[in-house]
Amino acid sequence: MSDPGGSRGMEPQAVPPQAGPPQAERPQRVLRLGRQAFGPERLLVMAIVNRTPDSFYQPGVTWDPAAAMERVRVVVAEGADIVDIGGVPARPGDEVAVSEEIRRTVPFVAAVRDAYPDLVISADTYRHEVAREACAAGADLINDTWGGWDTKLADVAAEFGAGLVCSHAGGLPPRTRPFRVAYADVVADVLRTTLALAERAVAAGVEPARIVIDPAHDFGKNTWHSLEITRRLAELAATGWPVLVSLSNKDFVGETLDAPLDERVAGTLATTAVSAWLGARVFRVHQVRETRHVLRMVSAIRGDTPPALAVRGLA
Amino acid sequence: MATTIAAAALCPSPPLLCPQLTGRSPVLPELRAACAQVVGRLLSQDPDVIVVVGPGPATGTWAADSRLDLSAFAPAIAEGGTGGVPLALGLGAMLLDQAGYRGPRHLQAAGHDEPAGACAKLGAELAGSGDRTGLLVMGDGSARRTLKAPGYLDPRAAGFDFGVERAIRAGDLAALLDLDQALARDLMATGRPAWQVLAGAMPAPAPATEVLYCDDPFGVAYLVAYLRPRGAEAGSR
Repeated sequence: MSDPGGSRGMEPQAVPPQAGPPQAERPQRVLRLGRQAFGPERLLVMAIVNRTPDSFYQPGVTWDPAAAMERVRVVVAEGADIVDIGGVPARPGDEVAVSEEIRRTVPFVAAVRDAYPDLVISADTYRHEVAREACAAGADLINDTWGGWDTKLADVAAEFGAGLVCSHAGGLPPRTRPFRVAYADVVADVLRTTLALAERAVAAGVEPARIVIDPAHDFGKNTWHSLEITRRLAELAATGWPVLVSLSNKDFVGETLDAPLDERVAGTLATTAVSAWLGARVFRVHQVRETRHVLRMVSAIRGDTPPALAVRGLA
Repeated sequence: MATTIAAAALCPSPPLLCPQLTGRSPVLPELRAACAQVVGRLLSQDPDVIVVVGPGPATGTWAADSRLDLSAFAPAIAEGGTGGVPLALGLGAMLLDQAGYRGPRHLQAAGHDEPAGACAKLGAELAGSGDRTGLLVMGDGSARRTLKAPGYLDPRAAGFDFGVERAIRAGDLAALLDLDQALARDLMATGRPAWQVLAGAMPAPAPATEVLYCDDPFGVAYLVAYLRPRGAEAGSR
């Protein structure tokens, strides 16, 4: 290497500061949820609280209202920033009527709001009737996993000053599985879809600082597609919209590792770390404590937060 | 008009037939073996041309050198093929390649919404070309056979697929022309138009048939079968 100055002798050459994560640029927008504002350095844990008897992971574990409230208490203690309350499983199955979904979720949203005035509450629903009731009961965010199938969701978010998750489900109707899906470029399709939904939400009156995009791993995607959107997550983060990822114990982890449902935590956490490094800001999870550890580690590696304690070699 | 179909092979067209798409584990080796076997038998008839028939967005032909674009299913696989070639035709081309076939081939899509009459007419045209033709028909039964199926369980699926299997086993291809188009669509039975092209290509008398594989391991009905026109020198000029 040449040294045009030629006068530094044996002194170590100045090394330019490392640029941090390899994304094009770090997202800069503040994310507003409920009464709170989160800067781009804050990595948020969204804890899953299913008000269903038949979701894919630990089915029925929080079907009982008392068990669900205990789950909220635990995940808050473990460091959850958001609870995501849903009443309909993603997978196909028995029809859940709007009235039944409301019955399952809305009184619970109200109870959580009473017990935790500052906790961010997300309503996991693809139906605007449910979202309206949930927002009236205190929900701060509408988590629409099915890619804007119900176009009135954005209107509800605007009406209540709530946030909206804009996701990519590959155009599939709610509660359907992918069948031989093919994309010329899955990331381009995700970008096109989620950005269009975000713009539609803004046009409907949703506050831009309350909009999140989600590539929706496994939804309308095979395992190769979910790996690709993970590998190229920086392209989503570069849009500036906060990126949510929902990875927890999903089939793409199971297929990658040939691991059954109860052996996917390590794979989930590895994907979580990579996603955080590439710019994701919200992580929808079953395992809150473990996820919080991973995210604190990533934040420290990035230099966003100092270690909790640093005395090794310093005494 | 006498058919010039030397023989026909029937295979399903799931992407998982392609070994590069399924990772490191062997997936359905018995299905892959059955497909390889039936294509081998088709080629053993030494046809002048192989016509691959499969469902596609619209009826039409594709260039003989078209190949499935694997990157559309697995972006990590850089091997791009012919953009837009229908899955069934791309997989049929792959089976021919795997068998080492280098002779003339013709890729014929039958539109998803093509009615039975048009499919049968297309089949008759293929059979009347004058060449001794080997047909490789790529078509799948319902994708709604079980609770874990891609399309979830539809209780009508088993009966529909059994009707197809029975027609093939009996050589009663005319029965395939009676398949309910709307029901087939509801059941995600994508093979319907391809089967009806087959029926048009092999009119009476009933061909001799043999089923090599018939199962629904992932909730999708897969059928592998071999069909030969009856009679001495049938299909020969």
